[in-house]
Amino acid sequence: MAGILDYNNVTKDYGSPWSKRRLRALDSFALSLDRGEIFGFLGPNGAGKTTAIHLALGFMRPSSGQGQLLGKPFGDAATRARIGFLPENVALYHRPANKLLRFYGALNGMRPARLRLRSNEVLREVELETEGNRNVAKFSRGMQQRIGLAQAMINDPELLILDEPSSALDPLARVSMRELLLEANRAGKTIFLSSHLLSEIEMICHRVAILVKGRLMRVGKVEDLLISRDRYEIVARGVRASSFEESRVRDGLVTFTVGAASQRDALERVWALGGEILSVNPVRRTLEEFFVELANKGADA
Amino acid sequence: MKPVALIAINFLREHRWPVLILFAWIVLTALAAGGFGRDRVVSDDVVFYVEQQAIYICVFSAFLAADALDNERKSRRILLVLSKAISRGEYLLAIILGTSAMAIAYAILFGLAGVWLTARAALPSSALWSMAVLIVAGSLIAATVAMFFSTFLNPYAATAVTLLLFCAPGALHAQRHAAAIWFPGFPILVNVLRFSFRQQWAVNWPSVIAAVFQSMLFWAMAAVVFNRKDIAVPVE
Repeated sequence: MAGILDYNNVTKDYGSPWSKRRLRALDSFALSLDRGEIFGFLGPNGAGKTTAIHLALGFMRPSSGQGQLLGKPFGDAATRARIGFLPENVALYHRPANKLLRFYGALNGMRPARLRLRSNEVLREVELETEGNRNVAKFSRGMQQRIGLAQAMINDPELLILDEPSSALDPLARVSMRELLLEANRAGKTIFLSSHLLSEIEMICHRVAILVKGRLMRVGKVEDLLISRDRYEIVARGVRASSFEESRVRDGLVTFTVGAASQRDALERVWALGGEILSVNPVRRTLEEFFVELANKGADA
Repeated sequence: MKPVALIAINFLREHRWPVLILFAWIVLTALAAGGFGRDRVVSDDVVFYVEQQAIYICVFSAFLAADALDNERKSRRILLVLSKAISRGEYLLAIILGTSAMAIAYAILFGLAGVWLTARAALPSSALWSMAVLIVAGSLIAATVAMFFSTFLNPYAATAVTLLLFCAPGALHAQRHAAAIWFPGFPILVNVLRFSFRQQWAVNWPSVIAAVFQSMLFWAMAAVVFNRKDIAVPVE
């Protein structure tokens, strides 16, 4: 079944076909977003995340492959009325915030009465309701970012595409942004979120994709990706911690990790020493550990 | 059509200072040609004023339209606009509409300033309003052609090529040839440069109609080229 956003083997090269400095930004990229999910899009700088987003919005054309946004080919203007987009380093016209929001909303064909209502609502949602009459040129970077998010939400979109939405935000504003995104998701919106803030992605995303040098390295549910099938954590009691490498003791329980291959030996050893196994679980890495591991693999490839 | 009008108004708003300076220029040059109200105005001075203003506005329109895409891409403001339900063709149409609205306002101001001047020179003023029509048509074709070239050239080169295209047939004495009407802008330029307050001078309506059709053609070609551009790639 087609997703809300689909990339089918999309490749994007920068530079003319006869140029020696041709750069492949995206390589046979395939991805499908399900309706109603928060999807995290990760990758080091220059991985091709923004290129993938710009292709979906029709800002550029794929060198090969194709994709669909809400069931229509990339670049279909009418379809964009059903999405919201916040670019990285948002650039806004210098106008009062509420007028600016109405301008962007009207470009999506919204009527004046609904625009007035929605501009007040979204200004409240991004906590700038008291700043509606101020020119955005006088706003701080963080406030401009929030206005950027407000314009993305003005048309009550089915899909929000956000490129580094938390950049330039202070920690408190990040928490608000996170809550706002979760609220939007609860209201049925699909969110495609590109971010460098791994903790944020880990906290709110249902699935993530990791892109390195234009190649999709991994895609899946956060829980599935972070659980390592290579190492297991064993919790036992009745044994001495010194009997096992990399072990720690807490409340009389000894916890240690072993490789998948030596898991059976470790368990037999506990029993041989007269101990009792309390639990055996795959080791759960942090998203940061997983990301660094994949980024290094990708860089070496 | 409303989004197109909104982008056009926004385009004018973004360029309000150069446009206002241009408007101040009409008034100042009219005052200068009118000798600041002291002496009687000579007919030749009024003719020079009229021709000069007509040429200025066409060149200014070409500059304004040629710079629009480059400026919006450099500032990255184009990304938010084109992330809405706006096609690239509509976006280009909005720029032409904005430039044309500026040209119409300019033509009206030019007419009013000209009426004051002709009254001081005891000349008939009806020809001025015919000239105002030529000004709008000339600005339209200049802006559209410049915008077409700006989809693949930098704004200075686009303006230069546009002006070259307008003037080259003159250098080739193309005006003696019936095909001259098909060179964009050239028949209007010839009509402007032959301006006089005598009854023999009149607007060359076929050239105005040709300019409108040529503008539509250049807009369509610009939309085709711009549709294939990677607008997110930074321009240097």
